[in-house]
Amino acid sequence: MFGNILFLVSALFSVLGAVGVVVTKNIMHACVYLLMSLIGVAGLYLTLGADFVAATQLVVYVGGVVILMVFAVMLTGGADSQKSNRFGIEKTPMMGSVGTYVAGGISAILASYIVIYRLLPKIFEAEPVNSTMAFDKTVEKIGMLLVSDHVLAFEISSVLLLGALVGAAVIARPKRN
Amino acid sequence: MNETIVTYFAKFEWYKSLVKALTETFGFNAEPLMVFLFFFLASFIVVNVMALVGGLGTYAERKISADLQMRMGPNRVGPYGLIQFLADGVKFIMKEGIIPKSADTFLFTLAPILCLVGVLGSLTVVPYSSGFILSDLDIGLFFLIGISSLVGLGIFLGGYASNSKWAMLGGMRAAAQIISYEIPVVISALSCVLLAGGLSFTTLIEAQTGFPQGWFIFHNPFTFIGFFVFFVGGLAETNRAPFDLPEAESELVSGYHTEYSGMRFAFFALAEYIEVFVVAGVAVALFLGGYNVPFGLGGDGILGQFLQLGAFFSKTLVLYYVVIWFRWTLPRLRVDHLMTLCWKYLTPIAIFNLIGTGFWLYGFEGKSLFELLFKSGAAATGGGH
Repeated sequence: MFGNILFLVSALFSVLGAVGVVVTKNIMHACVYLLMSLIGVAGLYLTLGADFVAATQLVVYVGGVVILMVFAVMLTGGADSQKSNRFGIEKTPMMGSVGTYVAGGISAILASYIVIYRLLPKIFEAEPVNSTMAFDKTVEKIGMLLVSDHVLAFEISSVLLLGALVGAAVIARPKRN
Repeated sequence: MNETIVTYFAKFEWYKSLVKALTETFGFNAEPLMVFLFFFLASFIVVNVMALVGGLGTYAERKISADLQMRMGPNRVGPYGLIQFLADGVKFIMKEGIIPKSADTFLFTLAPILCLVGVLGSLTVVPYSSGFILSDLDIGLFFLIGISSLVGLGIFLGGYASNSKWAMLGGMRAAAQIISYEIPVVISALSCVLLAGGLSFTTLIEAQTGFPQGWFIFHNPFTFIGFFVFFVGGLAETNRAPFDLPEAESELVSGYHTEYSGMRFAFFALAEYIEVFVVAGVAVALFLGGYNVPFGLGGDGILGQFLQLGAFFSKTLVLYYVVIWFRWTLPRLRVDHLMTLCWKYLTPIAIFNLIGTGFWLYGFEGKSLFELLFKSGAAATGGGH
C-alpha cells in the first residue's frame, strides 16, 4: 500500500510536471516543471526497484541536462515573458478546425475511458510495489554486462562523448588572428 | 536487498511483536504501516538533528572566527552564547519575507526549497552508524551525487529569479563552480570505490578498520593525495571560503542571496551549513574509516551503535572545524584562478590518482601500504610472531 502510494505520487509528479511544461508561458518555468517531471520519473524507477536507473536519471537529467537548459535559456535571453515573439506566443490562435476538435474530443473520451475503467482498477489491485524500499543488487549486474557483453556499445558511446568534447573545445576556442 | 534503518530494527523481538499486535488490532497486515512509521520517525529525527547541527554550525563559525581574531564572539544569549542560533532563527521567522517587485515570484520562492531538499535528500545515505543509516542503497555514493546536484540548481535559480545583477553573477559563478568541481570530487571518490569494490557506504566503510592504518587515506600514496583533492573539491562544491566566490561580499554584496530575507535566506544558510556536514561526513566515510570503532568496541548491540555514532560524529566535526578554520585563514581566490585550479590541477591529479590506485590494486593485490611495510619489517627482524 505504502509502495503504491509512493508510485502514485511519483506518477502524479511526472504527469503534472509534463502538463506544466506545456501550459506555462515562461520558458524558465517550463524548465523547472520539466525538472519536476524528471524527478517524478526517477521516483517511478525507484518504486519499481530500478535504483541504479533512478540515480542515473537524477545525475544525468537533474544535475546535467536541466542546468544546461537553464543556462542556455538564460544566455539566449529567452526567458523574457513580457515580450512575445513574432509568432505571438502570448496570443495563440485557435489551432485546427471543427473536424480536428471532434477527432480530439472522441480520442480524449476513449483515452479517459481506458484509463478510468481499464487501467486504474488494475493499479489498485496490483501487488504492492516494493513497500519496504529494499532493492536487489542491480549495480553489479549492470557493471558486469557493460564490460563484458556490451563492451562495444560502451566504448563506442565513449568515443561519441570524446567527439562531442573535442567539438565543444574547437567551437569555444578563441580565434587567433 | 539493501539494509535500511527498518531492517535493522526488524531484527529485534519487540519490533516483531509490535507488528503482530498492530496487525491483530487493525485487522490488516501492519508491516507496510510500520515501515512507513519508522522511516518517517527516523527521517524526522535526522532532519531535526541536522537542523541543530546546521544551527550550531553558525554558532561555531562565529565562535571560531572570534577565536582566530582574538575577539569574544557571541556570549550574551544563553551560557557562552550557545543559543544565539535560536535567537537568530526567531529573528528570521519574524522578519518580513521580501520579494522584489521585478523578481520571478515562482522561482524566487522555489529556489531555497530546492536547495534544502537537495541537501536533506543526501542525508538518506549518509552512514551515521552501521544500523542507523536511513537507507544503505547499493548505489549510495552515486545517489548522493545525483540528489545533491539539486543544490546547484537551487542556487542558480535563486540568483536568476532575483533579477538583480549581483545575484545573477553569484548564481552563474555558483553553477559553473559546482559543475566543474564535481569532476575531481567524483573521480577521487572513485578510487575508494575501486578499493572497496562497491558503491554502498556500508561496503566502503566495512573495507576499512577502526585504526588509522586501515583507513583508505593511508592505504596508498594515491589515496592520500586523493583525500586532499576530495576535500578541496568538496569545499568548492559547498561554496565555502576560499571558494566562496558566489557570495563574495567585497564584489557581489552577498551574491546569489542578495535579495533574500527572512526564512528564505535562512533556508539558504541552513542548506550551506548542513551541506558542509554532509561533505565532511562523506570524506570521513570514504577516507577516514567512517563509523568504525577500534576493536569493535560495544559489539553489535545498541551500545555499539552509539559508539559508532560517536566515532562518526567526532571525526566529521573535526573536519567541520577544519572547514571553518580554512574560511577564516585563507583569502578568497580569483574567478580565473578558481577554474584553473579545478581544470588544470585538481582534475589531472584526480585522474592520475585513479589510475595509480588501479595499478596499486593490480601490483600489490589490494594490500595497503601498512601491510606491505609491516610484513617486510617483520621479515627483516626475523620475527615470525
